[in-house]
Amino acid sequence: MNCARLLTTQAYIDNELEAAAALAAKKHTETCGECAALCEQALVLRRALREETTYYRAPEAFRRSLRESTGNAESALSTHVVGPPRPTRQRSRFLFGTVWGAIAAFAASLMIFVLSNSAPDEMARDIVSAHIRSLTGSHLVDVASGDDHTVKPWFYTHLDMSPPVRDFENAGFRLVGGRVDYVDGRHAAVTVYRLGDHVVNVFAWRDVEPMKSGTRERDGYNLLSWRQHGLFFCAISDANGDELVRLSELIEQSDHVEE
Amino acid sequence: MDEQRRKFEALVLPHLDAAYNLARWLSRSTTEAEDIVQEATLRALKSFGALRGADAKPWLLAIVRNCYRSAVVRQSKFAAVPINEEIETRVNGRIHACLISNDADPESIAAMNADRRKLDKMLASMPEDFREVLILRELEEMSYREIADITDVPMGTVMSRLARARKLLKQRWLETEGSRP
Repeated sequence: MNCARLLTTQAYIDNELEAAAALAAKKHTETCGECAALCEQALVLRRALREETTYYRAPEAFRRSLRESTGNAESALSTHVVGPPRPTRQRSRFLFGTVWGAIAAFAASLMIFVLSNSAPDEMARDIVSAHIRSLTGSHLVDVASGDDHTVKPWFYTHLDMSPPVRDFENAGFRLVGGRVDYVDGRHAAVTVYRLGDHVVNVFAWRDVEPMKSGTRERDGYNLLSWRQHGLFFCAISDANGDELVRLSELIEQSDHVEE
Repeated sequence: MDEQRRKFEALVLPHLDAAYNLARWLSRSTTEAEDIVQEATLRALKSFGALRGADAKPWLLAIVRNCYRSAVVRQSKFAAVPINEEIETRVNGRIHACLISNDADPESIAAMNADRRKLDKMLASMPEDFREVLILRELEEMSYREIADITDVPMGTVMSRLARARKLLKQRWLETEGSRP
């Protein structure tokens, strides 16, 4: 037997209601035993949680080492690393001072990218599947916004990278939002645009080359893949291939403006 | 690098305890909490430019939570870390603080500290989703909107999760204790 207003009463307890609604909720508890009990118990639990659980403060030694290691952000990746300061315009992330750091630095200096798990054609097939999946059902975007100031930080809370995100509505490509997709065993940052009636999904990965750069056509969809500053992109849509080329140019130009 | 240090002090330092506490309660391990906070700090400093004036605390906590999730996936860890000794240490730390405070009566101090151990254990044994919303709501005083953003679920889910979490915590409390005075 649950009162229909239970969650509203809870919202009142959590100070989520504005004045008039809060007053109404409070009044309701005067006549509803269930909601009154909820209030009382919630306040008891609140006091217990705030006063009687351990609040773990960062240990002093850890606090100090964290502070020191942020002098050079990359060195914070390993507690034993001391590395040279990073030039500000450099986009790639290197780990200096560790074995992996040496290998990564060497590989990056040769611009070698790790090859993907599947053959390039399979990759195109997987991307087409992911594209179709996104069009059906309700999972086109996880964050729905045409504002890059909203979408870009959102990517960082889910992946440790964010592709260049811009709204190009003036050029016909309206930013719809972003999502994280999973293709070929890897997470991809996907920026979603609308060009008129067409949806364009722009997949982005860091430090991999999952397929060859260039254009493809598959199952009626056009794909355009390209590399840019340590990221690999693949744009897919049922729109024309030269529209995708146009979008890739817009994205490339916007990347130069960043930082 | 001076700029990194300044970013750290503006963005991370004010919320370091909150970040550590969340990482500690989610992972139930001191060493993991440190790794998680270290990685979250790195991500936060790198992506600071994307924040552009929004509130840093919920944003940092969202990064912490996702670092924890990534760590879980990487390690496929299911075994619970034994926490009794750790809590014992922390509790001893707090007992000390209590003695310094105005609480004069040793019996009430002991009773309060016994409660702290019990509630710590209870909270640690709650399902992760419930533990998470309770900490964010009651310890960090995040709004429903902020909790929804941090845990990446709709606000309605936050509300129903909170209700069920409170109900479960109350149930467990009553099971171990009878009624609370």
